[in-house]
Amino acid sequence: MTGHLRAILLGAAVGVAMATGPAWAATVKVGVIGPFSGPFATAGQTFKQAVEVYQAMHGDSAGGNKIEFVYKDLDQANPAQSKALAQELIVKEKVQYLAGFFFTPDALAVAPLMDEAKVPCVIFNAATSAITEKSPLYVRTSFTLWQATVPLAQHVYKTGVRKVVTAVSDYGPGIDGEAAFKTTFEKAGGQVVDSIRMPLKSTDFAPFMQRIRDSGAEAIYAFLPAGPTTLAFTKAFADNGLKDKIKFFGPGDITQEPDLPALGDAAVGITTAFHYSRAHDSDLNRTFVAKHKEKFGNADTVTFTSVGAYDGTHLIYRMVEATGGKPDGAKAVEAVKGLSWESPRGPLTLDPDSRTVVQNIYLRVTERVNGALQNTEKETFAAQPDYGYKLGK
Amino acid sequence: MQTVLGIAIDGVAYGMILFIISVGLSVTLGLMRVVNLAHGAFAMVGGYLASFAAQSLGLPFEAAAAGAILLTVALALPLERLLYHRIYGSANELAQVLLTIGLTFVVVAGINYLFGPTLKRIPLPDYMEGVVNLGPKAIPTHRAFVIAVGIAAIAGLWWLLERTDFGVKLRAAVDDPAMAAALGIRTERLYAATFALGVGLAALGGILGAELLPLEPYYAIRYIVLFLAVVAVGGAGSVFGSAGAALALGIIDTAGKYLIPDFGEFFFYAAMILILFRWPNGFFQRRPA
Amino acid sequence: MNPHLRDAAGAALLAAAGLAAFWLFPEDLGLLTRIAATALYVLSLDLVLGYCGVATLGQAALFGTGAYAAGIAAVHLVAEPMVLLAVGGVAGGLMALATGALILHAHGLTLLMLTIAVTQIAHEVANKARWITGGSDGLSGIAPDPVLGLFRFDLYGRTSYLFALAVLVVGLLVAQRIVRSPFGLACRGVREDALRVAALGGSPRRTLIGMYTISGVFAGVAGALTAVSTGIVGLDSLSFSWSAEALVMLVLGGAGRLYGAIIGTLAFMAIHHILAATDPFHWMLFIGLFLMGVVLFAPGGISAAIERAAGRLRRAGARA
Repeated sequence: MTGHLRAILLGAAVGVAMATGPAWAATVKVGVIGPFSGPFATAGQTFKQAVEVYQAMHGDSAGGNKIEFVYKDLDQANPAQSKALAQELIVKEKVQYLAGFFFTPDALAVAPLMDEAKVPCVIFNAATSAITEKSPLYVRTSFTLWQATVPLAQHVYKTGVRKVVTAVSDYGPGIDGEAAFKTTFEKAGGQVVDSIRMPLKSTDFAPFMQRIRDSGAEAIYAFLPAGPTTLAFTKAFADNGLKDKIKFFGPGDITQEPDLPALGDAAVGITTAFHYSRAHDSDLNRTFVAKHKEKFGNADTVTFTSVGAYDGTHLIYRMVEATGGKPDGAKAVEAVKGLSWESPRGPLTLDPDSRTVVQNIYLRVTERVNGALQNTEKETFAAQPDYGYKLGK
Repeated sequence: MQTVLGIAIDGVAYGMILFIISVGLSVTLGLMRVVNLAHGAFAMVGGYLASFAAQSLGLPFEAAAAGAILLTVALALPLERLLYHRIYGSANELAQVLLTIGLTFVVVAGINYLFGPTLKRIPLPDYMEGVVNLGPKAIPTHRAFVIAVGIAAIAGLWWLLERTDFGVKLRAAVDDPAMAAALGIRTERLYAATFALGVGLAALGGILGAELLPLEPYYAIRYIVLFLAVVAVGGAGSVFGSAGAALALGIIDTAGKYLIPDFGEFFFYAAMILILFRWPNGFFQRRPA
Repeated sequence: MNPHLRDAAGAALLAAAGLAAFWLFPEDLGLLTRIAATALYVLSLDLVLGYCGVATLGQAALFGTGAYAAGIAAVHLVAEPMVLLAVGGVAGGLMALATGALILHAHGLTLLMLTIAVTQIAHEVANKARWITGGSDGLSGIAPDPVLGLFRFDLYGRTSYLFALAVLVVGLLVAQRIVRSPFGLACRGVREDALRVAALGGSPRRTLIGMYTISGVFAGVAGALTAVSTGIVGLDSLSFSWSAEALVMLVLGGAGRLYGAIIGTLAFMAIHHILAATDPFHWMLFIGLFLMGVVLFAPGGISAAIERAAGRLRRAGARA
């Protein structure tokens, strides 16, 4: 073969390679909706920080496609506004994925848009089981109230407690938590003597504390959305002299790390069940926390919403790889079903059925270590699925 | 019986906090005929200044509180001269509502800019920490303190308005400004002094109530309806009316939340509607606000 | 110029501006639809505030009732958009009639508080009745049929916007007719001097209740329009802040002129959209200052400022 012919063939081969190779290095946009202002701004901040930490650790592209995150502020549970923001993200910003969502109502509202535009949604936080039932394109990397509460209720029974009062905020996740605890605890043989549902807006918990005291329970299961309301509730519990009389149990929202300094000694001794503690003893977690400190000066805000966002970003990267950066919602979700990976919180697997991660739930007690408060993991309940998915159907 | 006592005490404590914050609004509305929707903003500013003084400057509670109240009043007085002055008089109701809503928005934005969106606490002095045992019922010491301050405020205000020269002149100036001025009463100074009193009380309420109504930038907007309700139900301008309304609403709200927590939010507003039907001008008011 | 001609010209101008927006901002139709529906809502407030002088912070109760009524009907009964608007209008009107009869005897602060209380109670009812309203999760699953059987409601909002614009233009024309009618004049009479109206044999209270009911119909239609075009109804449609926003938008635009409601809504929502995207508190600061500025320096809002400028131009033109 003459050198001339070889050069032509080589040139042709290169030409063909260039034409069919990753010529589509277009940016994939992800729209993140979360609270970046208002009372829950810390949670939104953790979303953003965790995404940036993931990018610092794994680069900002997947499979040759650059991934760009667009953030929209939604400071409270407002489903109409959530839908409006999502519509704008899909139509104007042309995002291929939606992500974020601190509150359940906000996550639920975007289901029709997801289905019409075939855009998957990665839930960084919202914890009501029913969300993933509303569309096959939801995936969730946070937790659900059922997932955390079932092992907790079983544990409470094992400690010898027989009478419990539940006090939850009157909205989706709260009702889930109450149902999860009641079902599990009563199945084990215990008794839920009173179920109190508190209005979401409550600031004065004195009447509820009175009711808790009057219920004659040995222990309380409480759930409120992480942030100002939880703080007020836990303080009121201590201030009304209930701390020494009634054991305090709940999902880890009530002792999230950013609130611990403000709670102070009122938090010591509270037993929670949750999927993530900043004090989790693993190398990956230590790196995760250290990276936060390096990028942002301190790691004071690192909490469960951080890992929710971190692992959500991991899923987004895998989905972009699987679709080659092209918009194909169904293919993306199919590709990550059953995916297993190591997270700063422990091992995760995305359940192909409920599309919520199956993960370890840890039993923790809040205690002071070296002067600072932390949630120390005492026991592990391995590979807990979302028990609340498609209940009774 | 124990429960009834418990609810009563909790209701009184909640009511007293509402009273302390709201009585300033009753004063400005009733005595100066200004619908001051920015009242919550003044309470909030007082709370934030006290929190800053106590936490960042390390001042003891009493000094922080006193300083915050004085500073809030000092900040508010120029506003009275520049803004409120232009909209006195009951013909200007809508203008007052809108001006003060606008002012509230500005204060909310400013507080958020200066202090950030997270909750601020005011560290309590030792004598307010802990729990006070009133027989079978334990309430936080802080709330007992608030009840005491509330009673002192009621007594003090009554004495000020009914038994002092200042009170007499103020009531005269409100009843008939032209006549009062003709008699040599310096109405402008009186208004300024009354405004200062109203703002000072708001700031005090914001500081003492911070345990119950947490300090965050939206505070001014979130709770203004509560304060307005107390004033409307009690009758603008009446100290006893405000006290009565605050206690009534506080007890009804607490009792409702105890008995049927699910429907807790209804009781306050249902009570307000029913009371306003029976007494359209409030408990103690003869003429409309 | 013949006032009826002027009204028609105004409505035509609105339609033209609306269509121009459709061509100019094809990717922002969701926002434009919300502006159109909200303009109708603020227009409803102008009927009671601008023309009757009744200061209310309870307009959201009427809007929200219409929205939820239409939403619930859409999910369970019928999905024809025009019917849904009618359902919303009737619901809003009935709510206004019932509450108006109960509270419109009051004045000033008392009336204000009563309207707030009604709204809060409506909000709580919607919150508790989650089995039918969705509670805090919101009422979703509203899937309206295509308009006139032809134009489907889709993600891009083309149908929603043109539908909302059409409803707004029709609403404006109807409102114009009402305020120019003898009934409308009676309302203005009550606003100016209720005592005199009573002395002349009229019934101020009944007039007020009448206009309040009409305003409720408008607000209910606006609520239904929002439900149909966005496909979701949230508790925020029954919130105190939604009432307050309507008041702010109306005052910014100028009350008592109908078109002021539309200008105010457009200005407020456009500015909100631009500023809130960067930082919501910047928007609060701006709106707060703007509001204070309007009250102190330009009472009567944007429309009054426009009228003053137009008057000056006319005088300058006449002199030349």
